Amino acid sequence: MRALALVLLVLAPMSLAAQRVSIGPQIAFGDYREVSSALHYRGNGLAAKATVEFKKLSADIVLSKVKYKPVDKNNGTSEFDASEIDVKMRYYIRGPFSAEVGFMNRKADPEFEAQSVGAVTLGAYMGYLLGPGVHMSLNGGLLFGAKYSGGGTTSGLGAVELGLGFTVDALKGRVQVTGDYGFQTFSRQTDDGSGPLDAPIQQSLGRVGLAVRF
Amino acid sequence: MHRSTSWFAALLLVLPASLVGQAQTIQNATLRRAQQAFDNLDYRQALTLAQASLRERLSGFERGRAYELLGFTYSGMDSILKAVEAFKQVVLIEPERDLDPNRTSPKALSAFQVALTQILVVRQLRVDSSNFIGGQGAVPIRYTVTQPSRVVTRITGGSGALASMRIDSTVANGQVNIRWPARLPSGDPVPDGNYSVVVEATVGQNSFSTSQPIRVTHGAVDTLEHLTSLPGYTYLPETEVPPKSWKPLGLALVYTGVAVAGTSALSHSDLGSPSTREVAVVGGGIAVAGFVMTLKKPAPQPARGNILYNQLLREQIARRNTEIAQENTRRRQQVALTVVPLPRTGVGR
Repeated sequence: MRALALVLLVLAPMSLAAQRVSIGPQIAFGDYREVSSALHYRGNGLAAKATVEFKKLSADIVLSKVKYKPVDKNNGTSEFDASEIDVKMRYYIRGPFSAEVGFMNRKADPEFEAQSVGAVTLGAYMGYLLGPGVHMSLNGGLLFGAKYSGGGTTSGLGAVELGLGFTVDALKGRVQVTGDYGFQTFSRQTDDGSGPLDAPIQQSLGRVGLAVRF
Repeated sequence: MHRSTSWFAALLLVLPASLVGQAQTIQNATLRRAQQAFDNLDYRQALTLAQASLRERLSGFERGRAYELLGFTYSGMDSILKAVEAFKQVVLIEPERDLDPNRTSPKALSAFQVALTQILVVRQLRVDSSNFIGGQGAVPIRYTVTQPSRVVTRITGGSGALASMRIDSTVANGQVNIRWPARLPSGDPVPDGNYSVVVEATVGQNSFSTSQPIRVTHGAVDTLEHLTSLPGYTYLPETEVPPKSWKPLGLALVYTGVAVAGTSALSHSDLGSPSTREVAVVGGGIAVAGFVMTLKKPAPQPARGNILYNQLLREQIARRNTEIAQENTRRRQQVALTVVPLPRTGVGR
Protein backbone atom coordinates (compact mmCIF):
# COMPACT_ATOMS: atom_id res chain seq x y z
CA MET A 1 0.00 0.00 0.00
CA ARG A 2 2.89 2.32 0.72
CA ALA A 3 4.17 1.67 -2.77
CA LEU A 4 0.77 2.49 -4.23
CA ALA A 5 0.65 5.73 -2.27
CA LEU A 6 4.11 6.62 -3.54
CA VAL A 7 3.14 5.92 -7.12
CA LEU A 8 0.00 8.00 -6.80
CA LEU A 9 2.01 10.83 -5.35
CA VAL A 10 4.35 10.72 -8.31
CA LEU A 11 1.65 10.36 -10.92
CA ALA A 12 -0.95 12.69 -9.51
CA PRO A 13 0.70 15.94 -10.63
CA MET A 14 1.40 14.40 -14.00
CA SER A 15 -2.16 13.25 -14.41
CA LEU A 16 -3.46 16.71 -13.69
CA ALA A 17 -1.67 18.04 -16.73
CA ALA A 18 -2.02 14.83 -18.66
CA GLN A 19 -3.22 14.79 -22.18
CA ARG A 20 -5.00 11.48 -21.72
CA VAL A 21 -6.17 9.50 -18.75
CA SER A 22 -8.09 6.29 -18.89
CA ILE A 23 -9.30 4.14 -16.06
CA GLY A 24 -11.53 1.13 -15.87
CA PRO A 25 -12.33 -2.29 -14.39
CA GLN A 26 -11.22 -5.60 -15.78
CA ILE A 27 -12.02 -9.23 -15.28
CA ALA A 28 -8.88 -11.16 -14.43
CA PHE A 29 -8.19 -14.82 -14.97
CA GLY A 30 -4.90 -16.48 -14.23
CA ASP A 31 -2.76 -19.52 -13.95
CA TYR A 32 -0.27 -19.83 -11.10
CA ARG A 33 2.44 -22.46 -10.58
CA GLU A 34 5.09 -22.81 -7.98
CA VAL A 35 8.01 -25.20 -7.32
CA SER A 36 6.56 -28.11 -9.30
CA SER A 37 3.67 -28.99 -11.53
CA ALA A 38 1.84 -30.25 -8.47
CA LEU A 39 1.33 -26.74 -7.15
CA HIS A 40 -0.88 -25.56 -9.97
CA TYR A 41 -3.65 -23.03 -9.45
CA ARG A 42 -6.18 -21.36 -11.61
CA GLY A 43 -8.47 -18.56 -10.72
CA ASN A 44 -10.53 -15.54 -11.55
CA GLY A 45 -10.91 -12.17 -10.04
CA LEU A 46 -11.15 -8.46 -10.64
CA ALA A 47 -8.67 -5.86 -11.67
CA ALA A 48 -8.49 -2.17 -12.32
CA LYS A 49 -6.21 -0.45 -14.77
CA ALA A 50 -5.33 3.21 -15.10
CA THR A 51 -3.28 4.68 -17.88
CA VAL A 52 -1.85 8.17 -17.96
CA GLU A 53 -0.20 9.68 -21.01
CA PHE A 54 1.73 12.92 -20.98
CA LYS A 55 3.81 13.89 -23.97
CA LYS A 56 6.47 11.19 -24.28
CA LEU A 57 5.72 9.74 -20.87
CA SER A 58 3.04 7.26 -20.02
CA ALA A 59 2.26 5.07 -17.08
CA ASP A 60 0.14 2.00 -16.37
CA ILE A 61 -1.09 1.14 -12.93
CA VAL A 62 -2.81 -2.21 -12.50
CA LEU A 63 -4.37 -3.52 -9.35
CA SER A 64 -5.71 -7.04 -9.38
CA LYS A 65 -7.04 -9.59 -7.00
CA VAL A 66 -7.42 -13.19 -8.16
CA LYS A 67 -8.71 -16.08 -6.14
CA TYR A 68 -6.56 -19.03 -7.11
CA LYS A 69 -7.86 -22.53 -6.56
CA PRO A 70 -5.78 -25.65 -6.86
CA VAL A 71 -6.25 -27.52 -10.08
CA ASP A 72 -5.73 -30.82 -8.26
CA LYS A 73 -7.85 -30.59 -5.14
CA ASN A 74 -6.51 -33.82 -3.81
CA ASN A 75 -2.93 -32.82 -3.27
CA GLY A 76 -3.60 -31.06 0.00
CA THR A 77 -3.30 -27.52 -1.18
CA SER A 78 -5.92 -24.86 -0.65
CA GLU A 79 -7.03 -21.77 -2.43
CA PHE A 80 -5.53 -18.34 -1.82
CA ASP A 81 -5.99 -14.76 -2.94
CA ALA A 82 -3.26 -13.09 -4.92
CA SER A 83 -3.36 -9.29 -4.67
CA GLU A 84 -1.01 -7.62 -7.09
CA ILE A 85 0.01 -4.13 -7.97
CA ASP A 86 1.89 -3.58 -11.15
CA VAL A 87 3.22 -0.15 -12.04
CA LYS A 88 5.05 0.65 -15.24
CA MET A 89 6.30 3.97 -16.53
CA ARG A 90 7.29 4.36 -20.13
CA TYR A 91 9.29 6.88 -22.07
CA TYR A 92 8.80 6.99 -25.82
CA ILE A 93 12.05 6.58 -27.72
CA ARG A 94 11.44 6.17 -31.41
CA GLY A 95 9.16 4.39 -33.88
CA PRO A 96 7.12 1.86 -31.93
CA PHE A 97 9.66 1.57 -29.10
CA SER A 98 9.52 2.86 -25.56
CA ALA A 99 11.65 2.12 -22.53
CA GLU A 100 9.80 0.78 -19.55
CA VAL A 101 10.56 0.80 -15.83
CA GLY A 102 8.41 -0.07 -12.84
CA PHE A 103 7.77 -2.48 -10.09
CA MET A 104 5.41 -5.26 -9.14
CA ASN A 105 4.27 -6.62 -5.83
CA ARG A 106 2.08 -9.63 -5.30
CA LYS A 107 0.85 -10.79 -1.95
CA ALA A 108 -0.68 -14.15 -1.17
CA ASP A 109 -3.38 -14.55 1.41
CA PRO A 110 -3.16 -16.81 3.40
CA GLU A 111 0.48 -15.95 3.56
CA PHE A 112 1.82 -19.50 3.61
CA GLU A 113 -0.23 -20.86 0.73
CA ALA A 114 1.92 -19.16 -1.90
CA GLN A 115 4.90 -16.93 -2.24
CA SER A 116 4.51 -13.21 -1.99
CA VAL A 117 6.91 -11.50 -4.33
CA GLY A 118 8.08 -8.04 -5.23
CA ALA A 119 10.54 -6.88 -7.85
CA VAL A 120 11.63 -3.95 -9.94
CA THR A 121 10.94 -4.23 -13.66
CA LEU A 122 13.06 -2.91 -16.49
CA GLY A 123 12.21 -3.60 -20.11
CA ALA A 124 11.01 -2.42 -23.46
CA TYR A 125 7.58 -1.71 -24.90
CA MET A 126 6.54 -1.85 -28.51
CA GLY A 127 3.25 -0.32 -29.57
CA TYR A 128 1.51 -0.35 -32.93
CA LEU A 129 -1.62 1.32 -34.22
CA LEU A 130 -3.52 -1.39 -36.07
CA GLY A 131 -6.06 1.06 -37.37
CA PRO A 132 -8.15 4.01 -36.27
CA GLY A 133 -8.67 3.56 -32.52
CA VAL A 134 -7.15 0.10 -32.36
CA HIS A 135 -3.83 -0.19 -30.60
CA MET A 136 -1.79 -3.24 -29.66
CA SER A 137 1.38 -3.64 -27.68
CA LEU A 138 4.03 -6.12 -26.77
CA ASN A 139 6.33 -5.68 -23.84
CA GLY A 140 9.04 -7.65 -22.13
CA GLY A 141 11.60 -7.13 -19.45
CA LEU A 142 13.56 -8.40 -16.54
CA LEU A 143 12.47 -8.44 -12.92
CA PHE A 144 15.34 -7.34 -10.74
CA GLY A 145 15.82 -7.63 -7.00
CA ALA A 146 13.02 -10.07 -6.49
CA LYS A 147 12.11 -10.60 -2.85
CA TYR A 148 10.08 -13.59 -1.71
CA SER A 149 8.14 -14.04 1.47
CA GLY A 150 9.53 -17.54 1.84
CA GLY A 151 13.08 -16.55 1.06
CA GLY A 152 15.13 -17.52 -1.88
CA THR A 153 17.07 -15.73 -4.57
CA THR A 154 16.97 -15.24 -8.28
CA SER A 155 19.92 -14.64 -10.56
CA GLY A 156 20.11 -11.41 -12.55
CA LEU A 157 18.43 -12.83 -15.63
CA GLY A 158 16.35 -15.35 -13.77
CA ALA A 159 13.13 -13.39 -13.56
CA VAL A 160 11.40 -12.37 -16.76
CA GLU A 161 8.07 -10.95 -17.72
CA LEU A 162 6.25 -10.75 -21.03
CA GLY A 163 3.12 -8.86 -21.91
CA LEU A 164 0.64 -8.46 -24.68
CA GLY A 165 -2.17 -5.94 -24.81
CA PHE A 166 -4.71 -4.14 -26.90
CA THR A 167 -7.19 -1.32 -26.67
CA VAL A 168 -10.12 -0.69 -28.98
CA ASP A 169 -11.78 2.72 -28.88
CA ALA A 170 -15.55 2.85 -28.71
CA LEU A 171 -18.08 5.66 -28.43
CA LYS A 172 -15.80 8.09 -30.22
CA GLY A 173 -12.87 7.21 -28.03
CA ARG A 174 -14.57 7.91 -24.73
CA VAL A 175 -14.64 4.25 -23.85
CA GLN A 176 -12.04 1.62 -24.54
CA VAL A 177 -12.21 -2.13 -24.62
CA THR A 178 -9.01 -3.35 -23.01
CA GLY A 179 -7.26 -6.69 -23.02
CA ASP A 180 -3.95 -7.52 -21.35
CA TYR A 181 -1.87 -10.57 -20.91
CA GLY A 182 1.03 -10.78 -18.48
CA PHE A 183 3.41 -13.66 -18.00
CA GLN A 184 5.91 -13.75 -15.14
CA THR A 185 8.46 -16.39 -14.37
CA PHE A 186 10.91 -16.36 -11.47
CA SER A 187 13.74 -18.93 -11.46
CA ARG A 188 13.89 -18.86 -7.71
CA GLN A 189 16.33 -20.95 -5.76
CA THR A 190 16.25 -21.76 -2.10
CA ASP A 191 18.88 -23.20 0.12
CA ASP A 192 17.97 -24.92 3.38
CA GLY A 193 21.57 -25.88 4.04
CA SER A 194 21.56 -28.92 1.81
CA GLY A 195 22.42 -26.93 -1.31
CA PRO A 196 20.46 -24.80 -3.75
CA LEU A 197 17.08 -26.07 -4.77
CA ASP A 198 14.98 -24.85 -7.67
CA ALA A 199 11.68 -23.35 -6.54
CA PRO A 200 10.37 -21.54 -9.62
CA ILE A 201 7.29 -19.36 -9.62
CA GLN A 202 5.25 -18.69 -12.75
CA GLN A 203 2.04 -16.79 -13.40
CA SER A 204 0.00 -16.14 -16.51
CA LEU A 205 -2.60 -13.47 -16.00
CA GLY A 206 -5.17 -12.37 -18.51
CA ARG A 207 -7.36 -9.31 -18.09
CA VAL A 208 -10.25 -8.11 -20.21
CA GLY A 209 -12.31 -5.07 -19.44
CA LEU A 210 -13.43 -1.54 -20.20
CA ALA A 211 -11.92 1.82 -19.56
CA VAL A 212 -13.23 5.34 -19.63
CA ARG A 213 -11.05 7.99 -21.18
CA PHE A 214 -10.80 11.54 -20.02
CA MET B 1 -4.54 77.10 -124.28
CA HIS B 2 -6.10 73.98 -125.52
CA ARG B 3 -4.36 72.07 -122.69
CA SER B 4 -5.75 74.52 -120.24
CA THR B 5 -9.24 73.88 -121.44
CA SER B 6 -9.03 70.27 -120.36
CA TRP B 7 -8.03 71.45 -116.88
CA PHE B 8 -10.98 73.74 -116.81
CA ALA B 9 -13.21 70.84 -117.69
CA ALA B 10 -11.75 68.93 -114.78
CA LEU B 11 -12.29 71.86 -112.48
CA LEU B 12 -15.85 72.02 -113.62
CA LEU B 13 -16.32 68.55 -112.27
CA VAL B 14 -14.37 69.07 -109.08
CA LEU B 15 -14.78 72.58 -107.78
CA PRO B 16 -18.51 72.87 -107.64
CA ALA B 17 -18.67 69.87 -105.38
CA SER B 18 -15.93 71.23 -103.14
CA LEU B 19 -17.47 74.63 -102.89
CA VAL B 20 -21.09 73.61 -102.47
CA GLY B 21 -20.80 73.14 -98.77
CA GLN B 22 -18.90 76.40 -98.41
CA ALA B 23 -21.21 78.46 -100.65
CA GLN B 24 -24.03 77.78 -98.26
CA THR B 25 -22.42 80.05 -95.72
CA ILE B 26 -21.30 82.72 -98.17
CA GLN B 27 -23.51 85.73 -97.57
CA ASN B 28 -21.71 88.30 -99.70
CA ALA B 29 -23.58 88.78 -102.99
CA THR B 30 -20.52 89.77 -105.00
CA LEU B 31 -18.67 86.72 -103.88
CA ARG B 32 -21.63 84.56 -104.70
CA ARG B 33 -21.74 86.06 -108.15
CA ALA B 34 -18.03 85.46 -108.56
CA GLN B 35 -18.62 81.83 -107.61
CA GLN B 36 -21.44 81.66 -110.11
CA ALA B 37 -19.18 83.09 -112.83
CA PHE B 38 -16.49 80.56 -111.98
CA ASP B 39 -19.01 77.77 -112.13
CA ASN B 40 -19.99 79.08 -115.60
CA LEU B 41 -16.33 79.04 -116.66
CA ASP B 42 -16.38 82.80 -117.01
CA TYR B 43 -13.01 83.28 -115.41
CA ARG B 44 -12.56 86.94 -116.25
CA GLN B 45 -15.90 87.73 -114.69
CA ALA B 46 -15.09 85.51 -111.73
CA LEU B 47 -11.75 87.27 -111.30
CA THR B 48 -13.31 90.72 -111.45
CA LEU B 49 -16.08 89.85 -109.03
CA ALA B 50 -13.79 88.06 -106.60
CA GLN B 51 -11.41 91.00 -106.49
CA ALA B 52 -14.38 93.33 -106.07
CA SER B 53 -15.70 91.24 -103.18
CA LEU B 54 -12.36 91.58 -101.40
CA ARG B 55 -12.88 95.32 -101.31
CA GLU B 56 -16.15 94.77 -99.52
CA ARG B 57 -16.81 93.80 -95.93
CA LEU B 58 -16.30 90.05 -95.67
CA SER B 59 -16.15 87.59 -92.84
CA GLY B 60 -12.93 85.66 -92.36
CA PHE B 61 -14.47 82.63 -93.93
CA GLU B 62 -15.73 84.61 -96.93
CA ARG B 63 -12.35 86.29 -97.32
CA GLY B 64 -10.69 82.89 -97.37
CA ARG B 65 -13.18 81.63 -99.95
CA ALA B 66 -12.61 84.72 -102.09
CA TYR B 67 -8.85 84.20 -102.16
CA GLU B 68 -9.32 80.49 -102.79
CA LEU B 69 -11.60 81.32 -105.72
CA LEU B 70 -8.92 83.66 -106.98
CA GLY B 71 -6.31 80.93 -106.60
CA PHE B 72 -8.36 78.43 -108.56
CA THR B 73 -9.19 81.03 -111.20
CA TYR B 74 -5.55 82.09 -111.65
CA SER B 75 -4.55 78.40 -111.79
CA GLY B 76 -7.14 77.92 -114.51
CA MET B 77 -5.76 80.92 -116.36
CA ASP B 78 -2.16 79.57 -115.97
CA SER B 79 -1.22 82.60 -113.85
CA ILE B 80 0.63 80.44 -111.37
CA LEU B 81 2.46 83.20 -109.51
CA LYS B 82 -0.79 84.99 -108.88
CA ALA B 83 -2.41 81.73 -107.90
CA VAL B 84 0.39 81.15 -105.38
CA GLU B 85 -0.11 84.63 -103.96
CA ALA B 86 -3.83 84.01 -103.66
CA PHE B 87 -3.30 80.66 -101.94
CA LYS B 88 -0.79 82.25 -99.56
CA GLN B 89 -3.58 84.53 -98.42
CA VAL B 90 -5.83 81.50 -98.00
CA VAL B 91 -3.26 79.79 -95.78
CA LEU B 92 -2.62 82.92 -93.77
CA ILE B 93 -6.35 83.26 -93.14
CA GLU B 94 -6.92 79.52 -92.60
CA PRO B 95 -3.64 77.81 -91.77
CA GLU B 96 -5.38 74.45 -91.45
CA ARG B 97 -6.88 74.71 -94.92
CA ASP B 98 -5.98 71.75 -97.13
CA LEU B 99 -6.99 70.84 -100.66
CA ASP B 100 -8.17 67.36 -101.44
CA PRO B 101 -5.57 65.99 -103.88
CA ASN B 102 -8.18 63.67 -105.37
CA ARG B 103 -10.54 66.48 -106.19
CA THR B 104 -8.24 69.33 -107.04
CA SER B 105 -6.45 70.01 -110.30
CA PRO B 106 -2.70 69.37 -110.16
CA LYS B 107 -2.06 72.98 -111.18
CA ALA B 108 -4.02 74.38 -108.30
CA LEU B 109 -2.59 71.77 -105.96
CA SER B 110 1.01 72.58 -106.92
CA ALA B 111 0.31 76.30 -106.58
CA PHE B 112 -1.12 75.63 -103.12
CA GLN B 113 1.97 73.59 -102.13
CA VAL B 114 4.28 76.33 -103.38
CA ALA B 115 2.28 78.86 -101.39
CA LEU B 116 2.73 76.72 -98.26
CA THR B 117 6.53 76.75 -98.65
CA GLN B 118 6.65 80.49 -99.04
CA ILE B 119 4.99 81.39 -95.78
CA LEU B 120 5.67 80.35 -92.24
CA VAL B 121 2.77 78.59 -90.60
CA VAL B 122 2.35 75.85 -88.06
CA ARG B 123 -0.43 73.57 -89.17
CA GLN B 124 -2.18 70.44 -88.08
CA LEU B 125 -1.30 70.75 -84.41
CA ARG B 126 -2.71 67.60 -82.87
CA VAL B 127 -2.75 66.46 -79.26
CA ASP B 128 -3.82 62.85 -78.96
CA SER B 129 -6.11 61.82 -76.13
CA SER B 130 -4.12 59.77 -73.69
CA ASN B 131 -4.44 58.15 -70.32
CA PHE B 132 -1.42 57.11 -68.28
CA ILE B 133 0.04 56.99 -64.83
CA GLY B 134 1.90 60.15 -63.94
CA GLY B 135 5.57 59.67 -64.62
CA GLN B 136 5.07 56.52 -66.68
CA GLY B 137 3.73 57.88 -69.95
CA ALA B 138 3.53 60.89 -72.20
CA VAL B 139 1.09 62.84 -74.34
CA PRO B 140 1.79 62.57 -78.09
CA ILE B 141 1.86 65.99 -79.78
CA ARG B 142 2.49 66.52 -83.46
CA TYR B 143 2.40 69.45 -85.85
CA THR B 144 3.69 70.52 -89.24
CA VAL B 145 5.80 73.58 -89.82
CA THR B 146 5.99 74.82 -93.41
CA GLN B 147 9.43 76.42 -93.35
CA PRO B 148 12.69 75.60 -91.57
CA SER B 149 12.40 77.53 -88.33
CA ARG B 150 13.02 77.51 -84.62
CA VAL B 151 9.94 75.98 -83.07
CA VAL B 152 9.18 76.30 -79.39
CA THR B 153 6.38 74.32 -77.81
CA ARG B 154 4.97 75.55 -74.51
CA ILE B 155 2.16 74.78 -72.10
CA THR B 156 0.23 77.79 -70.96
CA GLY B 157 -2.87 78.54 -68.98
CA GLY B 158 -1.81 77.42 -65.52
CA SER B 159 -0.29 79.22 -62.63
CA GLY B 160 3.28 79.33 -61.45
CA ALA B 161 5.54 77.27 -63.66
CA LEU B 162 2.56 76.41 -65.80
CA ALA B 163 1.91 80.01 -66.76
CA SER B 164 4.28 79.32 -69.60
CA MET B 165 6.27 76.13 -69.43
CA ARG B 166 8.53 75.26 -72.35
CA ILE B 167 8.33 71.57 -73.18
CA ASP B 168 10.28 71.48 -76.45
CA SER B 169 12.50 73.66 -78.59
CA THR B 170 13.86 72.55 -81.92
CA VAL B 171 14.77 73.64 -85.43
CA ALA B 172 12.35 71.82 -87.67
CA ASN B 173 10.72 71.68 -91.05
CA GLY B 174 7.79 69.44 -91.92
CA GLN B 175 6.09 67.18 -89.46
CA VAL B 176 7.32 67.14 -85.88
CA ASN B 177 6.39 64.60 -83.20
CA ILE B 178 7.06 65.25 -79.57
CA ARG B 179 6.02 63.55 -76.35
CA TRP B 180 5.07 65.51 -73.27
CA PRO B 181 5.26 63.64 -69.95
CA ALA B 182 2.77 66.05 -68.35
CA ARG B 183 5.12 66.72 -65.45
CA LEU B 184 6.23 69.89 -63.73
CA PRO B 185 9.93 70.70 -63.47
CA SER B 186 9.73 69.30 -59.91
CA GLY B 187 8.62 65.96 -61.32
CA ASP B 188 5.08 66.20 -59.99
CA PRO B 189 2.22 65.59 -62.38
CA VAL B 190 0.57 68.60 -63.94
CA PRO B 191 -2.44 69.61 -61.82
CA ASP B 192 -6.02 69.22 -62.98
CA GLY B 193 -7.17 71.94 -65.31
CA ASN B 194 -7.43 73.41 -68.77
CA TYR B 195 -4.24 74.35 -70.56
CA SER B 196 -3.07 75.22 -74.04
CA VAL B 197 -0.33 73.64 -76.08
CA VAL B 198 1.23 76.59 -77.89
CA VAL B 199 3.59 76.01 -80.80
CA GLU B 200 5.53 79.07 -81.94
CA ALA B 201 7.72 79.03 -85.01
CA THR B 202 10.23 81.80 -85.74
CA VAL B 203 12.45 82.43 -88.70
CA GLY B 204 14.07 85.84 -89.02
CA GLN B 205 11.46 88.47 -88.40
CA ASN B 206 8.62 86.11 -89.22
CA SER B 207 6.87 84.14 -86.56
CA PHE B 208 3.73 82.11 -86.34
CA SER B 209 2.06 80.48 -83.41
CA THR B 210 -0.88 78.21 -82.97
CA SER B 211 -2.40 76.53 -79.97
CA GLN B 212 -4.53 73.61 -78.99
CA PRO B 213 -6.54 73.69 -75.77
CA ILE B 214 -6.35 70.57 -73.65
CA ARG B 215 -7.89 69.38 -70.43
CA VAL B 216 -5.87 67.47 -67.85
CA THR B 217 -7.82 65.46 -65.31
CA HIS B 218 -6.59 63.37 -62.41
CA GLY B 219 -7.92 59.99 -61.44
CA ALA B 220 -7.09 57.14 -59.10
CA VAL B 221 -4.86 54.40 -60.43
CA ASP B 222 -6.53 51.00 -60.53
CA THR B 223 -5.28 48.69 -57.80
CA LEU B 224 -4.65 44.99 -58.18
CA GLU B 225 -6.83 42.35 -56.58
CA HIS B 226 -5.28 39.96 -54.13
CA LEU B 227 -4.80 36.40 -55.27
CA THR B 228 -6.55 33.41 -53.80
CA SER B 229 -4.96 31.00 -56.21
CA LEU B 230 -2.31 30.91 -58.87
CA PRO B 231 -3.57 30.31 -62.40
CA GLY B 232 -2.83 26.77 -63.43
CA TYR B 233 -2.03 25.62 -59.90
CA THR B 234 -4.57 24.02 -57.57
CA TYR B 235 -4.26 22.74 -54.06
CA LEU B 236 -3.79 19.01 -53.69
CA PRO B 237 -5.52 16.88 -51.04
CA GLU B 238 -3.36 16.75 -47.95
CA THR B 239 -4.47 13.26 -46.99
CA GLU B 240 -4.70 10.16 -49.07
CA VAL B 241 -6.25 6.80 -48.39
CA PRO B 242 -3.58 4.12 -48.58
CA PRO B 243 -4.42 0.91 -50.42
CA LYS B 244 -5.87 -1.95 -48.41
CA SER B 245 -3.27 -4.26 -46.97
CA TRP B 246 -3.01 -7.34 -44.78
CA LYS B 247 -0.47 -5.64 -42.60
CA PRO B 248 -2.80 -5.14 -39.57
CA LEU B 249 -3.71 -8.84 -39.45
CA GLY B 250 -0.13 -9.85 -40.13
CA LEU B 251 1.23 -7.70 -37.35
CA ALA B 252 -1.50 -8.83 -34.95
CA LEU B 253 -0.52 -12.44 -35.62
CA VAL B 254 3.16 -11.63 -35.24
CA TYR B 255 2.62 -9.89 -31.91
CA THR B 256 0.44 -12.74 -30.68
CA GLY B 257 2.91 -15.31 -31.98
CA VAL B 258 5.76 -13.61 -30.18
CA ALA B 259 3.77 -13.62 -26.95
CA VAL B 260 2.84 -17.32 -27.31
CA ALA B 261 6.36 -18.32 -28.31
CA GLY B 262 7.86 -16.23 -25.51
CA THR B 263 5.57 -17.78 -22.97
CA SER B 264 6.52 -21.27 -24.12
CA ALA B 265 10.21 -20.48 -24.27
CA LEU B 266 10.38 -18.77 -20.90
CA SER B 267 8.19 -21.24 -19.12
CA HIS B 268 10.00 -23.32 -16.50
CA SER B 269 10.14 -26.99 -17.47
CA ASP B 270 9.66 -28.18 -13.89
CA LEU B 271 6.24 -26.54 -13.82
CA GLY B 272 4.76 -28.47 -16.68
CA SER B 273 3.43 -27.16 -19.94
CA PRO B 274 2.54 -23.48 -19.72
CA SER B 275 -1.01 -22.29 -19.70
CA THR B 276 -2.11 -20.80 -23.00
CA ARG B 277 -5.63 -19.86 -22.00
CA GLU B 278 -4.74 -16.31 -21.01
CA VAL B 279 -2.57 -15.52 -24.03
CA ALA B 280 -5.08 -17.17 -26.32
CA VAL B 281 -7.90 -14.93 -25.10
CA VAL B 282 -5.92 -11.71 -25.41
CA GLY B 283 -4.08 -12.81 -28.56
CA GLY B 284 -7.37 -13.86 -30.12
CA GLY B 285 -8.79 -10.45 -29.42
CA ILE B 286 -5.81 -8.82 -31.12
CA ALA B 287 -6.09 -11.16 -34.12
CA VAL B 288 -9.79 -10.35 -34.51
CA ALA B 289 -9.03 -6.63 -34.25
CA GLY B 290 -6.27 -7.01 -36.84
CA PHE B 291 -8.61 -8.89 -39.17
CA VAL B 292 -11.31 -6.24 -38.85
CA MET B 293 -8.77 -3.51 -39.50
CA THR B 294 -7.60 -5.38 -42.59
CA LEU B 295 -11.14 -5.44 -43.98
CA LYS B 296 -11.88 -1.87 -42.97
CA LYS B 297 -11.15 1.01 -45.29
CA PRO B 298 -7.81 2.41 -44.22
CA ALA B 299 -7.79 5.74 -42.50
CA PRO B 300 -6.56 8.65 -44.61
CA GLN B 301 -2.88 9.28 -44.10
CA PRO B 302 -1.14 12.63 -44.47
CA ALA B 303 0.29 12.98 -47.98
CA ARG B 304 3.66 14.56 -47.24
CA GLY B 305 4.39 15.50 -50.84
CA ASN B 306 1.04 17.18 -51.26
CA ILE B 307 1.37 18.97 -47.93
CA LEU B 308 4.74 20.37 -48.99
CA TYR B 309 3.34 21.32 -52.41
CA ASN B 310 0.39 23.13 -50.82
CA GLN B 311 2.73 24.84 -48.39
CA LEU B 312 4.87 26.05 -51.30
CA LEU B 313 1.76 27.20 -53.14
CA ARG B 314 0.50 29.09 -50.09
CA GLU B 315 3.89 30.70 -49.67
CA GLN B 316 3.95 31.72 -53.33
CA ILE B 317 0.47 33.24 -53.10
CA ALA B 318 1.35 34.99 -49.85
CA ARG B 319 4.55 36.35 -51.42
CA ARG B 320 2.67 37.52 -54.51
CA ASN B 321 -0.04 39.12 -52.34
CA THR B 322 2.65 40.92 -50.37
CA GLU B 323 4.03 42.24 -53.65
CA ILE B 324 0.52 43.20 -54.75
CA ALA B 325 -0.06 45.00 -51.45
CA GLN B 326 3.18 46.92 -51.92
CA GLU B 327 2.27 47.69 -55.53
CA ASN B 328 -1.20 48.85 -54.45
CA THR B 329 0.33 51.07 -51.76
CA ARG B 330 2.51 52.60 -54.47
CA ARG B 331 -0.41 52.92 -56.89
CA ARG B 332 -2.54 54.69 -54.30
CA GLN B 333 0.13 57.36 -54.18
CA GLN B 334 0.11 57.69 -57.97
CA VAL B 335 -2.15 59.72 -60.23
CA ALA B 336 -3.78 58.60 -63.43
CA LEU B 337 -3.58 61.48 -65.88
CA THR B 338 -6.12 61.87 -68.64
CA VAL B 339 -5.34 64.41 -71.32
CA VAL B 340 -7.96 65.25 -73.91
CA PRO B 341 -7.88 67.95 -76.59
CA LEU B 342 -10.64 70.54 -76.46
CA PRO B 343 -12.29 72.22 -79.46
CA ARG B 344 -10.28 75.16 -80.80
CA THR B 345 -11.69 78.62 -80.51
CA GLY B 346 -9.40 80.37 -82.97
CA VAL B 347 -6.65 79.92 -85.49
CA GLY B 348 -2.98 80.71 -85.43
CA ARG B 349 -1.46 84.03 -86.22
